[in-house]
Amino acid sequence: MSVFTDYKKEIMDAAHDEKIRVALLRAIKSYRANINNALKKFPHTIKMAEEVREMKEKTIGDMEKLAQQACEAIEENKGKAYIAKTADDALNIIGGLVGSGKLIVKGKSMTGEEIELREHLEALGNEVYETDLGEFIIQKLGSKPMHILAPAVHVPKEDVARLFSKITGQELPPDIETLVATARNLLREKYFQADIGMSGANVVAADTGTLFHIENEGNIRLATSAPPVYIALVGMEKLVPTLGDAYKVAEVTWRYANYTIPSYVSLVSGPSKTGDIEKVITYGAHGPAEFHVIFMDDGRTDLAKHPILRQALYCLRCGGCLYECPVFAVTAGHFGDKYFAGVGAVWAAMITQNREKAASLAYTCLTCGRCKIRCPMKIDVPEMIVTLRELIATS
Amino acid sequence: MMKKKSKGLIPPGLVYMADNIITKHNILGASKGSGAKWAKGLNLPQKGETIFFAGCGYQYSSALESLMSLIRKMDKSAIGSELPMSLAGFQKKLGLDLAGMYRKVAVRGGDADGQPLRDAVKVLHNLGVEFGYLAEDEPCCGGLLYYIGLQSEFAKNAQEVYNGLKSPGVKRIISIVPSCTYTIRALLPKSVDGYDLEVKHFLEVVLEGIQSRELQFPKEVKVTYHDPCQLARNLGLIEEPRQILRAIKGIELVETDWTKGEWATCCGGGGGFEAVFPELSLVLAVNRTRELLETGAEIIVTHCPGCIMQLKDGLKELKVDDVEVLDLAQIVAMAMGV
Repeated sequence: MSVFTDYKKEIMDAAHDEKIRVALLRAIKSYRANINNALKKFPHTIKMAEEVREMKEKTIGDMEKLAQQACEAIEENKGKAYIAKTADDALNIIGGLVGSGKLIVKGKSMTGEEIELREHLEALGNEVYETDLGEFIIQKLGSKPMHILAPAVHVPKEDVARLFSKITGQELPPDIETLVATARNLLREKYFQADIGMSGANVVAADTGTLFHIENEGNIRLATSAPPVYIALVGMEKLVPTLGDAYKVAEVTWRYANYTIPSYVSLVSGPSKTGDIEKVITYGAHGPAEFHVIFMDDGRTDLAKHPILRQALYCLRCGGCLYECPVFAVTAGHFGDKYFAGVGAVWAAMITQNREKAASLAYTCLTCGRCKIRCPMKIDVPEMIVTLRELIATS
Repeated sequence: MMKKKSKGLIPPGLVYMADNIITKHNILGASKGSGAKWAKGLNLPQKGETIFFAGCGYQYSSALESLMSLIRKMDKSAIGSELPMSLAGFQKKLGLDLAGMYRKVAVRGGDADGQPLRDAVKVLHNLGVEFGYLAEDEPCCGGLLYYIGLQSEFAKNAQEVYNGLKSPGVKRIISIVPSCTYTIRALLPKSVDGYDLEVKHFLEVVLEGIQSRELQFPKEVKVTYHDPCQLARNLGLIEEPRQILRAIKGIELVETDWTKGEWATCCGGGGGFEAVFPELSLVLAVNRTRELLETGAEIIVTHCPGCIMQLKDGLKELKVDDVEVLDLAQIVAMAMGV
């Protein structure tokens, strides 16, 4: 009862928030212009997206096998790899590696959000810095991300200026360049003081154990290479068979995230090493000496068995659907749980297993189907939602 | 009422409508026959190999409009905001007879109902198409049952719908409500073995019929067209309504830059959403109305009873009184002078 009531109040408050409406209106307009431009310039993306969908359909049932294969590849690269069956397993593995009293710099990770990784590490007595600008703002506001790629999509520059003024103790103008420079200054030294760097991954090649990071800010590059230890948390649905497959997934992801090409795409497969002195391989040259990857299942292999709902695992997290959802346009991430909108409803039901929240989200979907038109994976959200409603109504 | 345990997490507004479909064979819970009032005086035979399927949305449009207005008022009030989203049974705790309120409103439906339907019938007759109308025997397609998660009830209803259509000898259906059309064309066959009804949408019949016709709108107007989700994205009828509008002299079709065809924005009334989130649904209606108004059109044309209701509410909320919402059937009727 209270879940519904609280949820409905939350989304209605959001729907009456003029800031959200205006911020989203601008974001949607710019997204559409950018993606049209990106797809016009690189029209092969559409065909490539079809290939990725076919590949996902074929391989999503093999996640465990792929995870095993990726673990072997990473170990061969002298990294350490782990398979976490549940969210708790993942938190325990990472908690064990980190310990307490550490300084951690972190790239934005929805999988991390899913299991509340930052909160867990802080509870263990560590200091954690989110380094993605949007996520940093969200962390400092004590809020939650409102979009998978642009977590602070709903926060206007005036609010950021107020927040950063409070942090720095200086009066800062609502000037975006100044605010970006302030965040850079606040975080710069943390990368080099940090004991541990952390991130997720956009896609992972099982044959080589290679993690792909797609970004524009450069924070993931720094967070994954400056500290002496690097830990990655990866949802098992991110695994694909080969390096070539992974490249396709990456290109489709950034293109539908409205970029012709992102500033940085990093491929990371193991710890930093050198053989430059007497051909003796030594670890920890300029980058981390330790490289840990945790592949998390947490309900994904079960979800892959469902004939309809498994489509949620095809999601590349490009965020395109969110710009097409009429409800999201007025509520932002309030129409969501760990993930947002239609796919978010499936995630809440099947992965985080928050049944009442899942029901709320399932009935918030209009089943209008515009997200499906946008989705590079052609995920049939209305079909999933109707299926989910049946599960909710009959379970 | 249906089995309690099977609907615990379905919002009550939807459970209520589902009950109506199962027990009263219409989404409103209106008494048998009241949905057929619109056809009075049209002298439609009550059977035929080809029938016109009117659908709940148009038949009860004015009742549904007053009902929505009531629900929206309740949703804004302190107690009402809890109601539509609360768990089934909660309304009883509050001592509110929601069903009674729904029915009282239902009775008010009357003269305003069915203008698009009467016009659609006149248009078809003008094109020389012959058909019957089952009137009070027209079954509810039950699509809503499917969309709200009551698939087994839908499947059971599907067989009844099929039998209800087959027993008077129906072979072909001209259907007009987008959602009903999709249900009878695409969803029923999945639940009924040997399903053999031929289903055409009204617009397909009209487009075929007007090929060599002169159509002239009574005045020069700028109109924009709003694609209903089911019509555009499920039935793929995107070009047809536009071809019809372009064929009418006096009408200038002005469209949104981006949100048209398969990219059209939902009016906020999809899949029973308006019954669960009445207030939010109005916010979405306003947003969509704003997009359409940017075209500078004097008439917003669409072709779905749900969209019509939403867009009218959007105009009202925006206090725009020099733009009207009309059904495409009404536009064609005007252009034919029928």
